[in-house]
Amino acid sequence: MKIVLYLHMHQPWRLARFRYLDLGSGRSYFDVDRNLGIFRGIAERCYRPTLDRLLRALETHPDFRLSLSVTGTFVEQAKVAAPDVLDRIRALVRTGRVALLAETYYHSLAFLVPPPELAEEVALHRAMLRSEFGGEPKVLRMTELAYSDDLARFAEAERFHGMLAEGWERMLRGNPPTYRYCAVSAPTVMLLLRHYPLSDDVGFRFSSREWSEFPLTSEKYARWLASTPGELIGLFMDFETFGEHHSAATGILEFLSALPDAVAKEPGLGWATVDEAIVGPPRDTLSVPYTMSWADQNRDLGAWLGNDLQRSAFEAVKKVGVVVRQSRDPTILTDWRKLLTSDHFYYMYVSGHGADQGVHDYFSSYDSPYDAYANYMNALSDLRRRALERLGVPILK
Amino acid sequence: MQRPARIGATVRRVAAPRPLRIVMVGWEWPPNHTGGLGVHSFEIGRELTRLGHRIEFLTPFQGPFTPVPGVTFRFPGEARATSPPEFPPAYWTGGTPDSPFVDSIDGYNAWIGQLTDLGPVDVIHVHDWFGTVGAAALARRLGVPLVMTVHSTEYDRSLGHPWDHIVGREQVGIDAAVRVIAVSRHLRQQLIDRYHADPDKVRVIYNAVRPSQRLERIDPKKRVVLYVGRLAAMKGVDTFLRAAARLVPTFPDVLFVIAGEGPEYSRLLHLAASLDIGDHVMFLGHVTDEERELLLAGSSVFVLPSVVEPFGIAALEAMAAGVPTIVSKTSGVAEISSGAFQVDFWDAEEFASRIAELLEYPTLRAAMGEQGRWEALREGWPERARETVGVYLEAIASRGRAI
Repeated sequence: MKIVLYLHMHQPWRLARFRYLDLGSGRSYFDVDRNLGIFRGIAERCYRPTLDRLLRALETHPDFRLSLSVTGTFVEQAKVAAPDVLDRIRALVRTGRVALLAETYYHSLAFLVPPPELAEEVALHRAMLRSEFGGEPKVLRMTELAYSDDLARFAEAERFHGMLAEGWERMLRGNPPTYRYCAVSAPTVMLLLRHYPLSDDVGFRFSSREWSEFPLTSEKYARWLASTPGELIGLFMDFETFGEHHSAATGILEFLSALPDAVAKEPGLGWATVDEAIVGPPRDTLSVPYTMSWADQNRDLGAWLGNDLQRSAFEAVKKVGVVVRQSRDPTILTDWRKLLTSDHFYYMYVSGHGADQGVHDYFSSYDSPYDAYANYMNALSDLRRRALERLGVPILK
Repeated sequence: MQRPARIGATVRRVAAPRPLRIVMVGWEWPPNHTGGLGVHSFEIGRELTRLGHRIEFLTPFQGPFTPVPGVTFRFPGEARATSPPEFPPAYWTGGTPDSPFVDSIDGYNAWIGQLTDLGPVDVIHVHDWFGTVGAAALARRLGVPLVMTVHSTEYDRSLGHPWDHIVGREQVGIDAAVRVIAVSRHLRQQLIDRYHADPDKVRVIYNAVRPSQRLERIDPKKRVVLYVGRLAAMKGVDTFLRAAARLVPTFPDVLFVIAGEGPEYSRLLHLAASLDIGDHVMFLGHVTDEERELLLAGSSVFVLPSVVEPFGIAALEAMAAGVPTIVSKTSGVAEISSGAFQVDFWDAEEFASRIAELLEYPTLRAAMGEQGRWEALREGWPERARETVGVYLEAIASRGRAI
């Protein structure tokens, strides 16, 4: 049984307050200082200590392996706010036992807008990985672990050998999530699935005192891993799980440090990168005719496009995309792509009740989803105005 | 989404083991009322009697009183035929209280203090400063616990230039009460900071609105941005006008409506003229409840820009009517409405931007309208009455009394 540990590193360009009265003012949509400030804080609490621990684990445990995805917006911010974080990632990659994954440069919903946006963003991200870290990714992960038959076809066309997806019962139809599968729509694309109960034990439940298994030790967790039947266990989670979602005071960093040791003590348990895990015959084909994600109770896109605000904002950004492309202005295109980052839509989530709302509030950078929507629409209206100006179209109003 | 109330501020909703006999030391009672206090007394009184409790409502005014089963009305000179005191009192419309007003307040308090024919009483509950001296004396003489509800403080009403005489009466009530009810956490903190109230005895019970029939939206050619409330300095209506002035060039079709009367009226009228937006602003003066509901049904946005606002029931009424609402951050209503935009009271630019966003984005207007309605109506006066009973029981228990 191989553990496929995969950690996701991302920070969005959050918007500044862009008032309706700021339309046409030439002000930036993005509060660079605030974003960098947030980045520095997380670097201190999470990125540095966790990357250091992972490097030590790689040095002391020749069997230990992991995989990382790093978004373009993360790298842009790290370059200014904490360049040493990038050095630490490079040191990990140099061990040869850390695989990097491909994705959209902007952690965006590009897969829902008309081509060629998705292909271009994945190409941008590939180029960034090459120049920053060296190497070619073999496996693609889509924003928020989105997956569908169509996306598998895209991955095949882009010559990826694997994709990640949620190990969700509804599409597994009785199959266990602990094997590699292939897409029914693209048989050369291997699918690695997230074992969500075991991933969420660490990602969500680790610091919860109401959890009957609290406190979770690395020995206990390794025993759970060892007793899980199958070939592969996909432990996919946010990198910020370690030191940020769960603060250092919860003992999460010690848990991570001790895990390779605890795993080594369990016979038959080992590690694999995503590049290693996709090698071998698939157990079966899987079909997902809708778009699945790793979020919330429904594992759909409801967290980003579930309500009227989100759908309205997304329709608007799609529409603006048409004039943005026509404008052929790289600055305008870049701003538009930053607005396509999925986080902006997540901030517009409204539920008011249920287990998911707490998670959403935690991640939001606004007082309310209404603030998020209004601010986003102002920025988008301004962008549209700029694109139209570029095209020489007179602005009514 | 609701911010958690601080520990010590919240009240449990409990049922009393038997009907309580409550002496409520009030001020106004419908149908004659100028402010929110009369409505509050009426709604909370009605719900308390529905729970089986009995109220003797003391008021300086002679009526008429909208009858509520279980509520008996007592007023000075009830046995004799005297002319009723002036209504509304000069204080409300004229600005500072003058000595005849103080005399009549003193008369009211003296009358309360010497009331004898009350029968058994479980708790005395006084609202604001008007009757605190009498209520404290009565509570002391009868040996029953005193509860005080503070709806606003003299510091707030006077924008930091309080009349010491009134502050003193507020202090008497806060000191003598074994439990104090504040209508928001913001106000609770003020009672602790300014009046040195013991934090352990101050509870928060928010106001509520009655669900009104949702009127069909009126869809006039002109879009309406509405303010409803008194025209007093603490209400920050000049911010509303300054925001309007920012928007008129971009939204020439929008009408800014100000409903209410008060001492600031002529100053605001001049301000509108000097901002050159006279054609886009309409001062309606006093409106009836019915007129207000019609106004809300025809409005796109409601704005409550108060500098100081212990609660702000007008905003809750707008939300209950499904009108997207913008409130100042310091208002008490902001504490329970995540579906309203919250703006710093001094930031006319931000008020203007928020109004523009609501006018421009129909999806936002609809979503905030729905959320606001849900937030305003998910709890009502029945819940508030049960919380009030919870405070009564705490007050009675704190006096070592069995029930």
